[in-house]
Amino acid sequence: MVRFLSFFLLFFINTDASEFDKNCFDCHSQDFKFHIIMNKYTLKYSSEKRIKEAMFDYLREPSSEKSVLPLEYIQKFGLKDKSPLDDKTLREMIDIYYKEYNLQSKIY
Amino acid sequence: MYRGEKKTIFYVLGLYLSSTLLLISTIFVSYYYYEKDQFEHNEKDILKKYTFLLTQQLSRLNENSSERYKYPRFDEFESAIYDIDENLIFSTNRDINITNFKDSFFIKESNSYLLSPLTPYYFGAAYIVIEKKSKNLVKSIDKLIFIAIVTIIITLVTSIFLVNLVLKPMRDNIKLLDSFIKDTTHELNTPITAILTNIETIDSSSCDEKALRKLQRIKIASQSISNIYEDLVYILLNHKTSTQNIELNLREMLEQRIEYFTNMANAKNINLILDAKQDFSFNADKKKMQRLIDNLLSNALKYSYKATTIKVVLIKNSLSIEDEGKGMSEKEVKNIFTRYLRFDKSQGGFGIGYSIVKSIADEYHINIDIVSKQNHGTKVTLSW
Repeated sequence: MVRFLSFFLLFFINTDASEFDKNCFDCHSQDFKFHIIMNKYTLKYSSEKRIKEAMFDYLREPSSEKSVLPLEYIQKFGLKDKSPLDDKTLREMIDIYYKEYNLQSKIY
Repeated sequence: MYRGEKKTIFYVLGLYLSSTLLLISTIFVSYYYYEKDQFEHNEKDILKKYTFLLTQQLSRLNENSSERYKYPRFDEFESAIYDIDENLIFSTNRDINITNFKDSFFIKESNSYLLSPLTPYYFGAAYIVIEKKSKNLVKSIDKLIFIAIVTIIITLVTSIFLVNLVLKPMRDNIKLLDSFIKDTTHELNTPITAILTNIETIDSSSCDEKALRKLQRIKIASQSISNIYEDLVYILLNHKTSTQNIELNLREMLEQRIEYFTNMANAKNINLILDAKQDFSFNADKKKMQRLIDNLLSNALKYSYKATTIKVVLIKNSLSIEDEGKGMSEKEVKNIFTRYLRFDKSQGGFGIGYSIVKSIADEYHINIDIVSKQNHGTKVTLSW
């Protein structure tokens, strides 16, 4: 039973990871500082709900006002393109991203 | 203790104590709030320092990029952080449970809490809660209550002492007045008795009409003095005269008393009528009953108009004396039993007659009913 459960969990974790890789690394390179972005979102939006909503909002309609990055950075590198993902997938990816990188779960 | 002294003591004590207690309670309540304010102020200052310390640590921690973050812990206080939606992020003490995010400072179960907003949101923390053990304010209140009780007791003792001090001159004066009246009364006894006895022994047939009239006037005046004397003795002895209750024949007694007052009645051309068809007995002290009847008759005579009738009616369980005199107002009837109160200053007396009547009537459970109409007369009915 334990073996079965472990396998089951591993399967889903791997599924999550692979989905995230597939959907996110298309645009972001492997060396993208995901944890820095999460830190910036956390500093600005505080709660899980608000962070996820802000991320979704930005990826759906990117703008310099919505961005958590400094204006100079945007002026230099420009804004990201709109996410090609549908709403459902996008929300799922944000959930995986939050689960993986959120700061609150790292406090002990 | 003199009559009315108890009342005065109660009034003075009541007034003094209530004003003092009001003052004490105002001082203590103000002091309590001052202490509470001071306490809260000090606690807040300390908690603010701790908040600042924790914020600094969180900021430093947030700057480091790490796989895991060790939340800052301190010996002096416990802390917790909440996100903007009031969800707990981390707490060093599971007991910290904030439900109301509007109160920035509060004390609960001998712990002080300070809730401070935080920006930027390090680790998502929008609120920092600091909890520290606080000095027990209840102990301070207990101490305050103890001091208040001691102060009240001291005030109470002081007030009793003060009342005694204030009343002392009054007591001395009353004592002096009492002893003066007692001495005077005592001195009056012998000459009055001598006058009355000698008048009785004068042979009226040997006097001419003019002398006889003069003699009658002397007799009436002596009787009046004698009445006043008897009333004063009754009052001065404070009703402590030895009581010897016997079966009294009221009709006989009334006849005697009416005869005694006949001279007075004649002087004002007043017709004193006794309507007592039967003998009725009443168990009472003879002297007291005599004082009761004498006072009622003397009052009736005093306030009756000239050439009128005073009707004394004795029936079973009731005696009424009705005059055709000045009468009294409703207010006067209401206050008639107040000692030393005289409505008509033109008439002699001390205003003690009805007070004596009431005192004796009360002793023998006799009900007094007074019906009076101004300029028509007064009817006093005793019933038992």
